[in-house]
Parts: sequence; structure tokens; C-alpha cells
Amino acid sequence: MIRALGDFLEIIKGGLITVRHFNTNMWFHTLKVLGFKTKRKGAVTIQYPEEKKALAARHRSLHRLMRREDGKPRCVSCLLCVTVCPSECISVEAAEDPDSEIQKVPAEFIIDMSRCCFCGFCVEACPEDAIRMDTGKIELAEYQRRDLVLDLDKLLK
Amino acid sequence: MPKILIDDRMVEAAEGLTLLRAAENAGIPIPHFCYHTAFPPEGSCRMCLVEIEGLPKLELACSTMVKEGLKVQTMSAKVVEARKGVLEFLLAEHPLDCPICDKAGECKLQDYFEEYGLFRSQFKEAKEKREKKFKLSRNLILDRERCILCTRCVRFLNEITKTEDAGILNRGIHSEVGIYESELIDNNYSGNLAQICPVGAITDSDFRFKTRVWFLESNESICPLCSRGCNIAIDSHPGHPRALRTRRVYRVRARPNPDVNSHWICDYGRYGYAYLDEAREDRLVWKKGGLETRLIWDKAAQILTEKVRSLVHLRKNSRIGVVLHSNLTNEELFLADRLFRKGLGVEKLFLADPPPGKGDGFLLTSDRTANRRGLLEVGLPVQALDAKALSDLDLLFIFGHYLADGTSAADLKYALEKVETKALFASHKSGLDGLVDFVIPVPVIAEKNGTLTNVDGRVQPFVAGLDFNGDGLPEWRALLDLAKELKVEPKYFWPLASPEGVYQALRKEIPFFK
Repeated sequence: MIRALGDFLEIIKGGLITVRHFNTNMWFHTLKVLGFKTKRKGAVTIQYPEEKKALAARHRSLHRLMRREDGKPRCVSCLLCVTVCPSECISVEAAEDPDSEIQKVPAEFIIDMSRCCFCGFCVEACPEDAIRMDTGKIELAEYQRRDLVLDLDKLLK
Repeated sequence: MPKILIDDRMVEAAEGLTLLRAAENAGIPIPHFCYHTAFPPEGSCRMCLVEIEGLPKLELACSTMVKEGLKVQTMSAKVVEARKGVLEFLLAEHPLDCPICDKAGECKLQDYFEEYGLFRSQFKEAKEKREKKFKLSRNLILDRERCILCTRCVRFLNEITKTEDAGILNRGIHSEVGIYESELIDNNYSGNLAQICPVGAITDSDFRFKTRVWFLESNESICPLCSRGCNIAIDSHPGHPRALRTRRVYRVRARPNPDVNSHWICDYGRYGYAYLDEAREDRLVWKKGGLETRLIWDKAAQILTEKVRSLVHLRKNSRIGVVLHSNLTNEELFLADRLFRKGLGVEKLFLADPPPGKGDGFLLTSDRTANRRGLLEVGLPVQALDAKALSDLDLLFIFGHYLADGTSAADLKYALEKVETKALFASHKSGLDGLVDFVIPVPVIAEKNGTLTNVDGRVQPFVAGLDFNGDGLPEWRALLDLAKELKVEPKYFWPLASPEGVYQALRKEIPFFK
């Protein structure tokens, strides 16, 4: 009985919080409309899929691989991203480049987005600035797991 | 023995030892590039400078002999400053391509820079461009930009292989390691050059770009490819969840052992690791009436013991045969002797070995088996293989797939068809698979524990460095299981459960192994 009463009290408390937020927001919105307190922002709901918030400059989103000026991937497959990756989602295989200045190029570069935790360590570890997480793509859901495994061609796009 | 003071520690060093060795023996590492234990000191890298009390200048630890009462400082401010200077000069020309250098992670220059350097380069001049991919030999690539001219490779070719293929050409900034214009370095020990190079100048095309060294797991083992028994380290990759491991072993390196192989191994042993993954036997099968059934070992052991028991019961012990090979460990040979010859009274013990190759007079011997000396010392009375002798048997235990090498396929087929039951314990697939009733996969030397006796009679223990992925089991366990199942000398066999236990029993019985 006492317990049921306690639960009921909590419901009331929760309701009061909602009411408090409504009142504050309503108060500031009204003041804004009337021309007072124009700088203070009231809470605004964003209609998400139709309407999107701008991403911060330092956000981390889907990876991309950078290219050199001549179009070759910048990656030298040093495997530092593979080493630093805490969720072991990157796998790189190296190949020999005929150009003796470059020497090492990736034959295969796979990122398994289903394992990725978006820590951005790969970007920090890269000595060549070959991988970046600035595509702005954050909606990465797929219907099948295999579509989440990105290879060299997809990452270079 | 002279007593010297290194870093305020009293160290007793043997007469004729250099300071660097004496310090190293006392656990005080002195950085060095050009010095290698196997060669006389060269003193070209100037990295091992130390301060000796009473001498105005810093001295080279690698070429200064110990003398009674020397007072040496290896980490004084002056010494560290000098080392920093040496590193700065080396790095004035050394490219910073560590991300694509195979040596990164085990490179001395990298390690010492981390320890003593950590400075920003003061050089404004661009680094000299040199050849990045100069072919030194079939397997070696020289990167002249990375070379620090320690001359270890030149001294190796002069003093160890005595082929004198390489030298330092030109002078001053134009100095470089060079070989004869028309010839590549071609000897059976060239793989060691990549191992002794302190930086990434000489790299191995077999290992080049395959992986990075920090992913590798190094395990000590014994090379089973000839009877020398060189001490090796097997570097394997533990695998990655995203990528299928294409191979387990990425390289084989020499492990120093002054009594067997010094610091070297031959190229035959270094690059001949493909057998570890190729054509391996992985399913324990029983073939009966054209049908293949997968079995577990316990079941197979039951069937085999049943067969042995019925033959022993009928006093047909002489119709059991065993084919052995010299790549078995001492323990396994001993168990085979104990079980088959002494326990069951089997007289027909045959030997089928891989064919001998060509020795080179240094490390590689012509005998391509790992334990022939062990076989001799255990005292197994083995006969040379004779296809005719096989045919009047009822039960044949075949160890090793080498039987298929020595005899012609038709003879073997004819002989084996007459044998009622044939059990094959083999690590690799071969022509024998189709001719036998039981195929029982077994691990290779790198995947099991035991001891091997090398050609000079040195008994060397080894432990499994790689996992054995197959249905089967090591031969020593199979032999022990059979003995226990057959209840042959139960008091003797029951307490034995590991190769170490078997070795203890072996030591008690055979004086050679004491």
C-alpha cells in the first residue's frame, strides 16, 4: 500500500518536472515574441528526418580515404590504423608500388562499420592524413551486415 | 679476473673481454649499431661511447678491453650528449619512412632515438636521394637511403660465409654498400643479412610488406629441416577478426646458440616454412569398404587395439609391422621401442625417411631429418624399407608420409593391399592416404613438445610454438594411449602422461641421455 503510494508520488513528481519545463519554455518564448529577452533561447524541437541539425566542425562520421594529387590513394598501408583500432574493425593488406618513392600501397582496405566505435583513433594515428572521418554521413544503418563492410573502392569515393 | 667499476657498480669481467661485453654480461646495455657478438669490433658507428675516468675523450666500449681498475660511466651527461650527436648525424641522412619500413618496431635506430634523441632536426638541407630498391640477392632488397654504413653485412660476408660479395664503395657522403656489378649475392646464408641489419636497409622480399613486426608472436623452436637442429624463432600471426589469416607463419629467424648455430641459420631453413601450412592432414578418417567415416581418436584407438589384441592372442606378433621415421622426437622413438619391440614383441620395424639433400659444409647437413642421431641412440633396430617385407603382414602402423617417397607407387600399392589393417599417422597429405585404412593427423615439430638430438649428439628440448588444428594428436600421446589401452606393462606406462615424463623415463634407461 505504502509502496503503491510511493510510486504514485513519483508519477506526480515526474509530471511536475514536465510542467516546469513547459512553463519555463512557454515563458521565454512569450517574452521573445513580445520583444523582451531576445537573446535567451527556449527549447525547440527539431523535426529530425526532414530537418537536420548542422554537425559540429570536429564531428566524427563515416570514414573516407584521401587521394594524392594524381588520384592514387594516399594510404601507404603502414597498418598504424589497424594497430590502434580498439575494435579491430580495420584490415589492410599491402602491395608493392612500382614507384620507389611510394613503395607501399594498399591492395585491400576494409573497414567493418558494424564493429567501428567512431573513436577516431585511426585518423589520429595516420601519418599520411589518408583517412578522415569528415564525410558528414552519420546515418549508416543498412539492412544487411555485409553492406556495412566497406572496401577500398567505397572508401575512396 | 680484472675488476672494473661500471656506473658505480663493481663488475668482475673475464680477461680479454671488451667493455661492451662486460657491461652487457652485468646487465648494463650499451647502445651500438655496428658491433655484433659474432664479429671482431669495428667501431664505425660511434654509438657505444662511454666515459672512462682519467681519459680526456670518450672511448668506444666495443673495442676497449677491460683492465683492472677502470672506472666507466655509461650514462653520464657527456655520454648521453655524445650519443645524441651520433644519432643526429645518422638521422641527417636516414629517411623517416618508418611507416613503410619493415624494420620499424625492432629497429635499433628507432629505439635509440626514443631513448636518447627525441630532438628536432637542425638540418636545413634536404636529405640525399639514393636508390630505394637495390636488389642484393634473390631475396634481399637494399635501401641505400636507410643504410647507416655499419658494415655488419660486409663483415658477415667476409667472415662467416667468406664469399666476400659486398663492400663499401666510394668515399664520404657517397659511401654505399655495393656488390659486384654482374652478380647478386648467392649463398645459402644470405637471409641472415636482413636479420643482422640494425636498421631497415636490407629487407627480406619474403617478408616485405606482409605485416608489421609488432603483430607477430615469436615462439622458440628447433628447425627440423636438417639434422643440425638450429635454434630458431618462429614468428606467427595470431590472426585478425576482420581478415582471414592467409598463413600462420610470417618468418623464421635464427636464435643465438653458440654451441649449435651461433647466430645464423641457412636459407633452406629460413624460407622453407611453407610445409607448415601446405597440404596438411586435418581429418581423422576410417576407410572401410569405400566409405570414409570421420572418427574420434578414442574410437580409432579401440579398433586398433582390438586388432592388435586378436593378433597377439593368436601368437601372430610377427605379423605386426611398424614404419618409423627420423623426424619423431626422442620420446616418441623411445615409446615406440618400448611399446612395439619390448611390449608386443614386434620384430618388423622399418624406417622410411625423406630423401637426403645436399649439405653445404657449414650448418646445413645432407641428412634432411631432425632426429637421426636420436634414433641411433634410442637403439631401435630398424630395417631399411622393403616393399616385399610389408606384404606378409596383417597390421601395419605407418608413421610419417615419407613411405610414398622412397618406393614406387605400384609396388607400394601391391604390398599394402595384402596388409589387412593399415594405420597412417601423418602430418601431410600424400599418396599413402588412399592406400590405408586409418588416417590419423599428427602435428609437426613446431606444434608439439619434446626433445630432438642433433647431429652432434646435443639433446635440445622444444615446446609447441604453433597451435595444431586438426582431429589428430601427437604421436607420443597416441603411443601412450595405445599402450594403456592394450595394458602393456601397465605399471610402466600408466604414470607417463607428458613428453617430460617420458623423457625422465628415457633418461633412466638409456645412458646417452643422462
